[in-house]
Amino acid sequence: MTETPEVVKINKWDGAAAKNAIDDAIREVLTGDLKCKESFALIDGRLFLCALAVGVALYALLWDYLYPFPQSKLVLIICVSSYFILMGILTLYTTFKEKGIFVVAKEKVGNNTRVWEASSYVKKHDDKYNLVLVMRDSNGKSREASVNKSFANFIDSNGTIVQNLVLNEITKIYNSLSTEKKEK
Amino acid sequence: MLDSLFDDVKRMNKRQFIYQVLSFGMIVSSALMIWKGLMVVTGSESPIVVVLSGSMEPAFHRGDLLFLTNYPEEPVRVGEIVVFKVEGRDIPIVHRVLKLHEKSNGTVKFLTKGDNNSVDDRGLYAQGQLWLTKKDVVGRARGFLPYVGMVTIYMNEYPKFKFAVLACLAIYVLVHRE
Repeated sequence: MTETPEVVKINKWDGAAAKNAIDDAIREVLTGDLKCKESFALIDGRLFLCALAVGVALYALLWDYLYPFPQSKLVLIICVSSYFILMGILTLYTTFKEKGIFVVAKEKVGNNTRVWEASSYVKKHDDKYNLVLVMRDSNGKSREASVNKSFANFIDSNGTIVQNLVLNEITKIYNSLSTEKKEK
Repeated sequence: MLDSLFDDVKRMNKRQFIYQVLSFGMIVSSALMIWKGLMVVTGSESPIVVVLSGSMEPAFHRGDLLFLTNYPEEPVRVGEIVVFKVEGRDIPIVHRVLKLHEKSNGTVKFLTKGDNNSVDDRGLYAQGQLWLTKKDVVGRARGFLPYVGMVTIYMNEYPKFKFAVLACLAIYVLVHRE
């Protein structure tokens, strides 16, 4: 939660922790070094769905407390069914809309607004970090590049994230995706 | 050790932290909504109960898990096992219907007794109450799972243990990302 760059040390054998740490490092590169502006719409959408679901559950709990069971039946039916529908929507949202995207960053280049979306996944018990970087510009064109590299390319043997390696990697993709555009 | 436990949390930004709290909330609310859903489906305010005493042996033992239904259209019959509440008692009782009087207008009054008790339940009812009516019934036993309820019994007997387990689970969920 701090702004100053700190040394991030993780348990390098914990795949999820390593993925989260590298994700964070990439977010920092995109929004910090590359001066893009992070857009929170996607994650806010998920937070809204979660908050709504929890709210529905709390409402059902309160209503059932105020009007004990047989009276509260109708409200309970509505709350329970809408809760499970919300859970379904949330699952669809995370699998089809978010698709593992952990940062969306916007960048203004002249009149053009370019949107960068980074998503990543790690297979269980695997050391390969899969990164997909998608760039969309306001003309509707999109290009993507993917990297599939071992954690060892971003994390040193102590489990510390090497921000420079991440920076180099992302800058490389960033430049190649940006310049490709000019050639066309 | 404890320091590294909270590292994940410290590194989270505002939204990640909110999501962490919300996903913990969703685990709790999912359990709650399943319970409330069962209430609606079975019509009973407490669709699953644990047998706490040996008064229904050999039918049910301490620690058996009972599944209840409470459909208003199904009449109560002698010989059925009902779970009922008594005014001034927090914990419902699981006993068998011994005598039943049914009026033509549909009202019923009935007396219960534990299979393993030597006398009927009049002594257990509220002061001056001689019969149970439909509004006292929580549900009727429809099925049971032996021994599973022992976990809840132990948890209730050792509240500290229960809170320790719950606290550990809560911390684990809150601290671990994904």
